Amino acid sequence: MNPILRLCISRLVQLPLIVGVIYTLTLILAWAVPGDPLEGPEARRPPAEVRQQMRAQYNLDSFGSFYRSYLASASGWNWLDARVGITQQGQERSQEWSRQDDAARTNGLPVPERRVFDLGPSLQYRDRRVNEIIAESLPVSMTLGLLSIVLATVIGVGAGVIGAVKPGSALDALTLGLSLIGISLPTFVIGTVLLLTFSVWWPILPVGEWGTLRALILPSLTLSLGFAAYIARLTRLGMVQEIQSDYVRTARAKGLSERDVVLKHALKNAFLPVLSYLGPATALAMTGSFVVERVFRVPGLGQHFVNAVQNKDLFLIIGVVLVYSTMLILFNLVVDVLYRWVDPRIA
Amino acid sequence: MFKIGAVLLTVVALLFGVIAADRPLPRASFTFINKGDITTLDPQTASWMQDLRASRLLFEGLVRNDVFTWDYTPSPAAASSWTISADGREYTFTIRPDALWSNGQPLLPSHIAFGWMRALLPETGSDYIKQFHLIAGADEFTTWRTKAANQFAADVATGSIPASDRAARARQLWLDTKSRFRSTVAIVANDESRTLTVRLVRPTPHFLDLCAFPQFAPVYPPLIEHFLTVDAATAQVRVDPSWTRPETIVSNGAFTLKRWAFKREMRLERSDTYWNLAHVALQSISIPTIEDPNSAVLACRAGSVDWLSDVDAPYRSEMLAQKAAFYTEHAAQVQDLRAQGLDEIEIDRRLPADPRNRIISSPAFGTYFYNFNCRPTLPGGRANPFADKRVRKAFSLTIDREAIVSQVRRSGEPAARTLIPPGSIGGYQSPAGLDMNAAQARELLAQAGYPGGKGLPTIEMLFNTEGGHDLIARVVARNWREALGVEVILNQKEIKTLRDDLRSGNFMIARGSWFGDYGDPTTFLNLYREGDGNNDTHFASAEFEKLMTQADEAPDRATRLALHSRAEAMLMEDECPALPVFGYLNFYMFDPHRFTGISAHPRSEQQMFRIDVFGDGIGSDAVQMLPPRVPQNVLTESAGAGQ
Repeated sequence: MNPILRLCISRLVQLPLIVGVIYTLTLILAWAVPGDPLEGPEARRPPAEVRQQMRAQYNLDSFGSFYRSYLASASGWNWLDARVGITQQGQERSQEWSRQDDAARTNGLPVPERRVFDLGPSLQYRDRRVNEIIAESLPVSMTLGLLSIVLATVIGVGAGVIGAVKPGSALDALTLGLSLIGISLPTFVIGTVLLLTFSVWWPILPVGEWGTLRALILPSLTLSLGFAAYIARLTRLGMVQEIQSDYVRTARAKGLSERDVVLKHALKNAFLPVLSYLGPATALAMTGSFVVERVFRVPGLGQHFVNAVQNKDLFLIIGVVLVYSTMLILFNLVVDVLYRWVDPRIA
Repeated sequence: MFKIGAVLLTVVALLFGVIAADRPLPRASFTFINKGDITTLDPQTASWMQDLRASRLLFEGLVRNDVFTWDYTPSPAAASSWTISADGREYTFTIRPDALWSNGQPLLPSHIAFGWMRALLPETGSDYIKQFHLIAGADEFTTWRTKAANQFAADVATGSIPASDRAARARQLWLDTKSRFRSTVAIVANDESRTLTVRLVRPTPHFLDLCAFPQFAPVYPPLIEHFLTVDAATAQVRVDPSWTRPETIVSNGAFTLKRWAFKREMRLERSDTYWNLAHVALQSISIPTIEDPNSAVLACRAGSVDWLSDVDAPYRSEMLAQKAAFYTEHAAQVQDLRAQGLDEIEIDRRLPADPRNRIISSPAFGTYFYNFNCRPTLPGGRANPFADKRVRKAFSLTIDREAIVSQVRRSGEPAARTLIPPGSIGGYQSPAGLDMNAAQARELLAQAGYPGGKGLPTIEMLFNTEGGHDLIARVVARNWREALGVEVILNQKEIKTLRDDLRSGNFMIARGSWFGDYGDPTTFLNLYREGDGNNDTHFASAEFEKLMTQADEAPDRATRLALHSRAEAMLMEDECPALPVFGYLNFYMFDPHRFTGISAHPRSEQQMFRIDVFGDGIGSDAVQMLPPRVPQNVLTESAGAGQ
């Protein structure tokens, strides 16, 4: 069997198990957060009968019933059940659906959407399903994360190569120093400095109108610097080793230009550790952009990660965690596959 | 290297695809920043300030308050006229014939009744269900429905409803509920004659005011019915909230929903089917989400936002100080305009345009206060000194409100001695409340058995972490330590935990705030009624209940308000379950030379269809303002940024 295919299959089989464990742990923790999820911070309290019916509606009465009902809907079981009609409940749901379909046809109204993996309603944003919230904000976080990783790779590899070509030179010290700053400074400092510089003092870039390319520059640059610094150090380390190796000496002896030696031979091998770092880094960039989102008003998913916990929005907390963890697992898989594709020696 | 390049290129191409697909809309004719993110557009479940505001844009109830009158005169909206029976209990509304839904269908009286029925269903989760219980038979209907649903769920669980039958039986219960509503609740909707008759439990002078509240707005029944499912296990009615999407929503207000990008922007446009279209002076409205208070001020300053509904930047007091400096430069003119009794917005509009003249503060319909726990004991069986009203009063007599507003808040808020902001309810006379009197306080404490504070346990003040409550609590704690010789500790908690503590009574003194909903003192005073879900203090007084009941039975509004005034005096001057600290202000930011239509009334409702941008070619450009008031009034005295 093709080793890449085998890898994919074994990882995909593990995926639901890992996600299941994450779901259980997250729900236990989220359930333990104090506070009533149905109550706003300053809101009025409806009478007891209303509260009781609301709790029943969201299955919030007991941990067990919430655990089961959420699992059934998020795993796609409810959808499958309704389509195939396995249980009583599934048949009932299927009847409701066909009733709605008929009504939609007669009244010319849209059919309510039926989601395979239904992550439930948001308790905070009552008009939204968690699926919709994620569908609207995940692409934003992914764009921001991917772009900053691309930037980080370009900046980091560039700086690493420059440093490694002349180790100990002033240029090397400069790139090393800059990358140290990049690693040490938190993103909210970098972000605020960039924002003040390019949007307030020298207003050439907007403060945040998501949707234009210009608006992407500052947030992705901010997010990329930390990664770029790490990549620069990785590249430099790899390059310094590779440049001293035998095959580089051979290449030089063959009379290849220094540019070809560095870029075609040494960098190719020195890049491998960077590639293995890029997997988790991409996932981190997509999920860890909360601060950058806040500073630059980016409507991404990171904010929900934090706000949902504060609001005890159970459905949103779990929805976001499930999507993030699935993404993380898939990204690691993609990187492993790429790794084998780039360097077939690794099995 | 080629392979890596290929991967990078693919990623970059993907990115550009995503960005290209995501284009912002052109600028709207009016842009404002709401107080927070809109959570729902469903009028029956709206409860937050920002949601109520959005509901008012999209939906129109039977009547609406005229926000440019001091008593918020109810004026015709979806109903063109109404009559009130001689006993004050029966209201008959006539729906105007040109009232249409955004899909062109006529608005019918039965649509109004449908919305009210939704609010009465416990599973809808309306925070204002109690207001609907003023309608005769409504309370019984909710109780019946709750019982029926609980019985159904129990029968399904025990198997007395066979599993094969439960879906049909649940659906039948929903049909029964609708006919039960028609038979028990005193609402008669006659679609032929376009009249809606409502009979109330008792005369309620503020019923029209309630009808103007978004929760009483209609929703389009065919749409709701379409998105509604009946749960077979509980018989609960569940409405898929996706009916509020721009593609599907049907509304009857001045504006229709064009776009709702989550956490980004809501876009509304003037509704072609609105009966009063000729008087809507805005083509489109944009409500961007800007959560950071500083960015919001910057956006307003840069001109990309026309109205900021809540200035909450950390440097707000500096903005107010700059405005005070601007007022000083024009002192004579300001004094003259004040003497004419003009409202805050109109004063600013008549002063020269100036960047400092953009923040406008005016009294709001809310109060910041402390609640005393009135339960006989604290959790764990500890004795509660605040169960004794003399102790509560002693503490109430020793706080220095002036120091708090002038040194801590520094935003010009009025010190509050009453729960209901004075001047906010037309015809209501606020009691005087308590002033500082340390000698009397010590005497009361001695009478209660704690001479010089001896014998009192350490007093705990509870408040939530964000919002600067600790600074206020520190001043208050110092006042008490100095005046009463008591030991006070401050206890900060995260808001969710604090709410849990309030409900379970795990506090001695807790910070609270309340904003009124409608133009009747009960919107505040109900907080201290026995058994009210929001009565965190568990205060209970037969005397107070008696006054409130008498007010409910009063033959006319004047008598009612006089009784409420006595009830509030009892709360504020004798029983002291709450200790008011200061009255909230609205901090708006906009240029009053650019548009008119924002009202400075303390009830703070804004009707966006009244907004009229000067010189844009739509609307009459006539200035709208509150009628002049004599300046001696408490309201105009205490307000204004310059003080």
